[in-house]
Amino acid sequence: MSAFAAIGKSARRVEGREKVTGTATYVADVHPRGAACARLVLSPYAHARIKSVELSAALQVPGVIAAFSGKDIGGAEILAIDEVYFAGEAVAVVVGETEAAAEDGADAVQVDYEPLPVVSDPIAAMKPDSPLTRAAQGESHDDAGAHGAAVGGAGTGRPKPRNVNQMVEFQRGDLAKGFAEADVVLEDTYRVARVHQGYMETQGSVAERAPGGGFTVWTTTQAAFGARDETAKFLGIPAHEVNVIPTQVGGGFGGKFVLVEPLAAALARRVRRPVRVILDRTQDFLVSHPAPGAVIRMKMGAKKDGTLTALEAELVFDAGCAPGAPTGIAALLLGGTYRCPNLDIVGYEVLTHKVSPGAYRAPGAPQAYYALESHMSRLADQLGLDPIEFRLKNAAKEGDIRPDGRPWPRIGLIECLEAARAHPMWRDRKKLGADEGVGVAVGGWGGGTEPATGGCRVNPDGSLTVQVGSVDITGVNTTFALIAAEVFGLPVEQVQIATNDTDHAPYAGASGGSKTTYTVGAAVLAAAQEARSQVIEMAADRLEAAPSDLDIADGRVFVKGAPNRGVTIGELARLANRFGSRYKPLHGQGRAAVHTASPGFAVQLCQTKVDRGSGMPRITGYVAVQDVGRALNPAEVIGQIRGGAVQGIGRALFEAMEHDEGGQLANATLADYTMPTAADIPDIEVVLIEVPSELGPFGAKGVGEPPAVPGAAAVVNAVEAAVGVRVKNVPIKPEVILDALEEGGKR
Amino acid sequence: MKAPAFDYEAPATLEEALGLLQARADDAKVLAGGQSLMPMLNMRLARPALIVDINRLPGLDYIRIAGGQLQVGALARHTAVASHPEVKKGWPVLAEAAAQIGHDAIRNRGTLAGSLAHSDPTAEHPAVLAALDGEVVVRSAKGERTLKADDFFLGYLTTALQPDELLTEVRFPALAPRTGSTFVEFAPRVGDFAVVGVAAAVTLGGDGSWQDVRLALTGVGGTPFRARQAESALKGKKPTAADIQAAAAQVAEAIEPDSDIKASARYRRHLARTLSERALTTAAERAAGQGGR
Amino acid sequence: MAKEKTIRVKVNGSERRATVEVRRNLADFLREDLELTGTHLGCEHGVCGACTVLVDGEAVRSCLMLAVQAEGHEVTTVEGLTTPDGEPGPLQQAFWDNHGMQCGFCTPGMICATAALLRENPHPTAEQIRERLSGNLCRCTGYQDIIASVLAAAAEDK
Ligand SMILES: Cc1cc2nc3c(=O)[nH]c(=O)nc-3n(C[C@H](O)[C@H](O)[C@H](O)COP(=O)(O)OP(=O)(O)OC[C@H]3O[C@@H](n4cnc5c(N)ncnc54)[C@H](O)[C@@H]3O)c2cc1C
Ligand code: FES
Ligand code: FES
Repeated sequence: MSAFAAIGKSARRVEGREKVTGTATYVADVHPRGAACARLVLSPYAHARIKSVELSAALQVPGVIAAFSGKDIGGAEILAIDEVYFAGEAVAVVVGETEAAAEDGADAVQVDYEPLPVVSDPIAAMKPDSPLTRAAQGESHDDAGAHGAAVGGAGTGRPKPRNVNQMVEFQRGDLAKGFAEADVVLEDTYRVARVHQGYMETQGSVAERAPGGGFTVWTTTQAAFGARDETAKFLGIPAHEVNVIPTQVGGGFGGKFVLVEPLAAALARRVRRPVRVILDRTQDFLVSHPAPGAVIRMKMGAKKDGTLTALEAELVFDAGCAPGAPTGIAALLLGGTYRCPNLDIVGYEVLTHKVSPGAYRAPGAPQAYYALESHMSRLADQLGLDPIEFRLKNAAKEGDIRPDGRPWPRIGLIECLEAARAHPMWRDRKKLGADEGVGVAVGGWGGGTEPATGGCRVNPDGSLTVQVGSVDITGVNTTFALIAAEVFGLPVEQVQIATNDTDHAPYAGASGGSKTTYTVGAAVLAAAQEARSQVIEMAADRLEAAPSDLDIADGRVFVKGAPNRGVTIGELARLANRFGSRYKPLHGQGRAAVHTASPGFAVQLCQTKVDRGSGMPRITGYVAVQDVGRALNPAEVIGQIRGGAVQGIGRALFEAMEHDEGGQLANATLADYTMPTAADIPDIEVVLIEVPSELGPFGAKGVGEPPAVPGAAAVVNAVEAAVGVRVKNVPIKPEVILDALEEGGKR
Repeated sequence: MKAPAFDYEAPATLEEALGLLQARADDAKVLAGGQSLMPMLNMRLARPALIVDINRLPGLDYIRIAGGQLQVGALARHTAVASHPEVKKGWPVLAEAAAQIGHDAIRNRGTLAGSLAHSDPTAEHPAVLAALDGEVVVRSAKGERTLKADDFFLGYLTTALQPDELLTEVRFPALAPRTGSTFVEFAPRVGDFAVVGVAAAVTLGGDGSWQDVRLALTGVGGTPFRARQAESALKGKKPTAADIQAAAAQVAEAIEPDSDIKASARYRRHLARTLSERALTTAAERAAGQGGR
Repeated sequence: MAKEKTIRVKVNGSERRATVEVRRNLADFLREDLELTGTHLGCEHGVCGACTVLVDGEAVRSCLMLAVQAEGHEVTTVEGLTTPDGEPGPLQQAFWDNHGMQCGFCTPGMICATAALLRENPHPTAEQIRERLSGNLCRCTGYQDIIASVLAAAAEDK
């Protein structure tokens, strides 16, 4: 390991200076000269026909510039035209001189609706007498697909219930036989709430006409090229006529792909001024795409010795009003994490009158693992086995066949479980006081892939400029700097990262799905290596030595064994950049299409103490173990893991988007949608496991998704260990624990 | 989420303020710390035509003791109340309640008077006012009146304050010697509005028996609930765990809480019981552990 | 409309004058009128703390104060906590060096809240920091590196 110069040493953020001094540019900070502000008018009904949209009063409001209905803008993707399918769907937009004026105008827009029947609960939607949602629309556009993970499954002719868009099925072996062989069979149903990504910066875009034609769009997105393509498509112009400038992203977590970019550009075209569309927190809650809620029925059988014999599961994902729920991934992970010869898993993607979900850190996995890991701990309990030993006995490893028939590559699940088993929190868990307990849970993520390119320019001052088209949402730019620095043996400060706009950037896919370091990093590595070869080749010519006799250190190329025969990298770049030079400029290009993912696993231990007065579990200790392949920048890897773990704790204790029967979101503010604060959580100890990937740069795997997965199950398993109460629905309602305690036992 | 348009006045004298309120009684709103009103304006849940900002009124931020009574001016902020040495010493229940409101930045602006005027059903201070038999001084161009909690809090976000009136001062009588007091609450997260909160003040007699017991709850209805039945059941007895438990159970019986997105009525009852028990126990211990407080 | 007012506010040490709508909140005044966009808006209802600034040295939510209320007062934003030549000040440096930020959106509010905390209590414990910063939400870091940054800043300041 110490063979590395830069890799594996914690580096602070390359963009840290601007962030700590308040000079970093987020999308709301972009004010092109003469910019106007837009405000959406949202439907109060979850399902209604739009009878009319009256804009004249809005146009009278001082400071209002223009107002449009869906018909005016033309494109039901951004403004509803005839019918609304969720409460909060945009039906009109008002443009004003200021945000306040636009909001004044929006208040004056009158929309006449004819309310239609609503179904907001997915289980109710599957009943034969349920109101119909938007017609099931064939193939799923799986946002998690954009995360790059595999989905699949073959149909077996099960009937498709009402309002189900898509079904996924995985079968193997003989289920009945499996249950017959089992000594213990456990069946139960678990519910996971719909939750929001909760990024601190709300979504928004700013667009203006570009002087040379086309449009410039500043936006807070994880996918600059995706935003470009969608915007161009909506405007009906070629993609190259839209230049997307990605701003700093104030948290994305999967939630920021494309949202109001097309609208901003369409408005800039219509009002002939730059237009800012910045959502406020409540509108963001209403119109953005959160993580779907799920109801998961589990039935598992195991022999006395802990061998799993059968797994039956039914997953219901609430897809809201449009397809795209990560049912396939959830089913795959649920059935593939432990070896089980007989299984039958069916997933339903159910349409309801809510906004359609999008991606949120490991889409589908937190839901699946909540059910699976709750069930695994309970089974262990019933079998009288240690929960970690039981998991170890069945844990998947390299070569085991997943439900989709493909074998697992080398994975670190077992190593993570072993590390958790060895941790003092686990070993000493029986020594805790009253109402205290420790729970364990596993989480995994398949990893993603997507081709990418990167550039590496050698500068006359001897530094490097790395050019990428991926957006930095997790500190990847700092990691890219480490990668390039490693290749050249330079200090990381000598590498500059340019996240370019789509006019100038080498192509890269979306930053998401824990694949940015894994794929763009590979391209950067290739680019840096190519630039290094160019440097060596040029130096060989200058020094009249064979390339294989040269080495680079401290910014200088020299002849091995004759260190004073050398030339600095800067000197070479100066020579190559000179008028009339016979050398080609030093500029490496790297391309990568890593098409095999490296799945990542995490195991988390939660220690809790339940307050008997309120039923509230307080988290008193937390350990996050994770196989990261190789921690290129340990501080940032650890930061990702802690942040992810706290999001998992949020799912366990606080977070739920609460819809009533009429489909209204009852908690569209940060006062009512509660996320963990610094005082709610303890220090989180991170244990890094490094089972190197064969494909990722220097062995790295994606680290962003797995830590957000196990939290909910780890917390409820800890609660059971503490007070013997089994919580089945998250977030935990303390009153449920209290009721169970009063009944004096387990439920 | 930008406030609707309004006119704005920041009067420099109390008379001027009262005059404005009288003239514009139907559409003016007082702005004190803004920690409740500003969110409502930003969300456009309030649409006053005129904001009367009282923050420039001189000399209203006092916290003083006069004749044993604690007097808190309309502009005294939660931070000042929570950290004031005399308040901590003489009225710990009030200091503790103030310290549990929101977060530092909220407490630096929000006022005790504003809390009472706003009368959120889960706010801390209304319960303190009720428990300590405090009173509010209310002024209008027409004159001044003082009101006790029972007459001041009328219902959900509703008080006896008239649109032309300003709450100028909050008063708390001195606590007798050998009095212990405390404020306890349950909120899922630090700094959140309480689900249920309990203010308690207990005075022990020379023989160690309950001489006076005062208990008021927030979060169990539209207005603070003074648990008089439970109080009288305890008076005269010697403090025992069993009696405290019985009194707490009685509190839970007597209240009529609502269910909402935060908690069911059943859960609020439960919290009322466990928090009352905790508050009474702590208050009695404090009373016993000194000459009081 | 008569609903405007000219105000003078001392911001980060210099006297600023502007005519604003009376309904404009302090955060928008700083961001839009003074182009000090380091102060962020994450909720506009007082919960997230991203807009925290110092008014006369005390932490306040700039989304819950009207700009006209700042007239005659002193406001310090994250931009005012740099060194005189715009380099990161000691507190900012501590956040940078100790990985106290990821996306950076909460960071200005965190830094302002921390400045107020350290002024009052120059050597807080980790627990006190957690309590005091509980009014500032961060979705990225899990808070621990923020706490470490504050502890490091406090240790620097002997
Ligand atoms: C994030 C957050 C968390 C909070 N947490 C809590 C909490 O845990 N507990 C809690 O109790 N509160 C909490 N609050 C609210 C806070 O305590 C407010 O300070 C308080 O409710 C109102 O006081 P104010 O001075 O800010 O009043 P303002 O917001 O200025 O006014 C509130 C209302 O009272 C009226 N009013 C104010 N003062 C007077 C007066 N002197 N005379 C007549 N009318 C007046 C106003 O017209 C308005 O209708 C929280 C607020 C926020 C933003
Ligand atoms: S923007 Fe002011 S607290 Fe969130
Ligand atoms: S660093 Fe992203 S919200 Fe704190």
